[in-house]
Amino acid sequence: MRALHVDPRLQVSVAGVTLSNPTVLASGILGMSASSAGFAARLGAGAVTFKSCGLDARKGHPGPAIVPFEHGLLNAVGLSNPGAEAMAAEIAEFRSRFKVPVFASIFGKTVEEFGRVAAIVAQANPHLIEVNVSCPNVESELGTPFGLDPGLTGEITRLVKLSAPGIPISIKLSPQAHGIGRLARACQDAGADAITAINTVGPGMIIDPVIRRPVLSNRVGGVSGGAILPVAVRCVYEIAAQVSIPIIGTGGVSRAEHALQLILAGATAVGIGTGLSEGGDDVFTDVCKGLSEYLDANGFSNLAQIRGVAHD
Amino acid sequence: MPTGFPTWHRFAGWPMTERLERLVGQHLQEGSATPVPVRVEEVLVHHETLKTFVMEAPFSIAPGQFVMLWLPGVEEKPFSPSLATQNWRSRPGRIELTVRAVGAFTHALMGVKPGQLLGLRGPFGRGFSLEPFSLLVGGGMGIAPLRYLAEALDSSGLPFHALLGARTGRDLLFTDWFSRRSASLFTDDGSAGTAGLVTQSLDAELSSGLFRNVCACGPEPMLLAVMKICETRSVPYQLGFERYMKCGIGICGQCCMDGSGIRLCKEGPVLTAHELAGITELGLPHRDASGARPARPGV
Repeated sequence: MRALHVDPRLQVSVAGVTLSNPTVLASGILGMSASSAGFAARLGAGAVTFKSCGLDARKGHPGPAIVPFEHGLLNAVGLSNPGAEAMAAEIAEFRSRFKVPVFASIFGKTVEEFGRVAAIVAQANPHLIEVNVSCPNVESELGTPFGLDPGLTGEITRLVKLSAPGIPISIKLSPQAHGIGRLARACQDAGADAITAINTVGPGMIIDPVIRRPVLSNRVGGVSGGAILPVAVRCVYEIAAQVSIPIIGTGGVSRAEHALQLILAGATAVGIGTGLSEGGDDVFTDVCKGLSEYLDANGFSNLAQIRGVAHD
Repeated sequence: MPTGFPTWHRFAGWPMTERLERLVGQHLQEGSATPVPVRVEEVLVHHETLKTFVMEAPFSIAPGQFVMLWLPGVEEKPFSPSLATQNWRSRPGRIELTVRAVGAFTHALMGVKPGQLLGLRGPFGRGFSLEPFSLLVGGGMGIAPLRYLAEALDSSGLPFHALLGARTGRDLLFTDWFSRRSASLFTDDGSAGTAGLVTQSLDAELSSGLFRNVCACGPEPMLLAVMKICETRSVPYQLGFERYMKCGIGICGQCCMDGSGIRLCKEGPVLTAHELAGITELGLPHRDASGARPARPGV
């Protein structure tokens, strides 16, 4: 591991939370425990998002649950998590051991459950709560993601906001949403403090031609990694045109050029998940270094000067 | 100990193409993190719930590294090979996985027959480094990866001795092979070798000053006992650990060790004193698939 890259010009603020750099460990990658999230913090992430938790412990889908292909990853982890109480304890431990801002991530099987889970993780006082209304690989069990319905998404937003007073919340949207800009606007109107976009694309499927079966035990899973960067950039661009709250642009980032596209489209911070596999352990540092070089080369003094300028 | 002579000596009997490949380093090291279909060539039955599956190796793998073995329609689990040969362009290698039936997945594996298709992905993690005068300490199924390590030491001309233990003589793996080299056997019930734990003579073995390195694999209490004795005798050690694993490529976080958070699938599964110093969960019940750590029995 190389030395971390420090550049005050990369500092950003997401819903009142100050990040030393715009990279955010995306939910679902590491972030199972205080120590695994801490591992990402040591790699240089500006903030870390824990894995999504629900009310009760879930073991998730059996393996194979994560398989790479030429342009990304297909995963159907299936929301494995130790339950909100145990996750809150991990988040609290992280807060006591590390200075890097920490985002919780929550899901619910019903609208009401989002509120209950939010209240539990709020006790650990995370800097932000991300609301996962868009997991694509538990559909057979939990039904169509709530995040495809603007009415339900707004309802969940209001409920989480009430259940976790004083903690900013970000709604994590699915690229499958029809009119993602309008959906983001509905979240903002319901009180969301930020938008995370996008969750994985799909679901997709990989079939082994020799074994002649889908490789994932769940058969289908969300697509992440390089393949989805253009989808993420388009979604962030559409959302930025509709909302004034900050966007955590996520999807396919493993290099500074990728992060720049999301920032130019309107993102304040940039999620990195699969990029840890595609870009290696130095991905957070490499992205930050590349951003500094871009600021130098083009005479900018901070990231706000380039945020969303692709719209002009 | 110089290893040049035994290595070069081995070239003599090999086909010309393989000698050339070895000279220019053309063996296929690149692995695959996506399952590669492999056909089971042979199933060696140690007893009805302990079998070794022999397959064509789709990649080269070092002792102590691991693969994810996929039984289509069932699940996939990590295994460290009990033997493997280099995968050459002109001649594919072989990989052997020794499996004991303990859960649903391994019981399903017991029904696998030669000719059946399985999926393999890997190689993952960091294995053992090959050192002269190594003392190998294996407990139960931990003997399996040590067999590959011993084979690698043997073919590099590096001397070693093995201390191998299991519950009963029936579960003691590869005893014939090890006994033709250098090994002491232990069983809990005394049905083979000396009755008692494999670690009971470790201190005495190390006090001879002959061994410069200890490589161990087995149940965690055994590993912790080995660690303690090695610390006391100031002998470097490499310990092969086991945790619930999901992705194998260092991103899912399931196998991160509490404390430093290192990923057993990437920074491990073989750990040395330096890495172990940062870990706080040694000896605790392992986190399960949900990430929860079960309470200690009786707590």
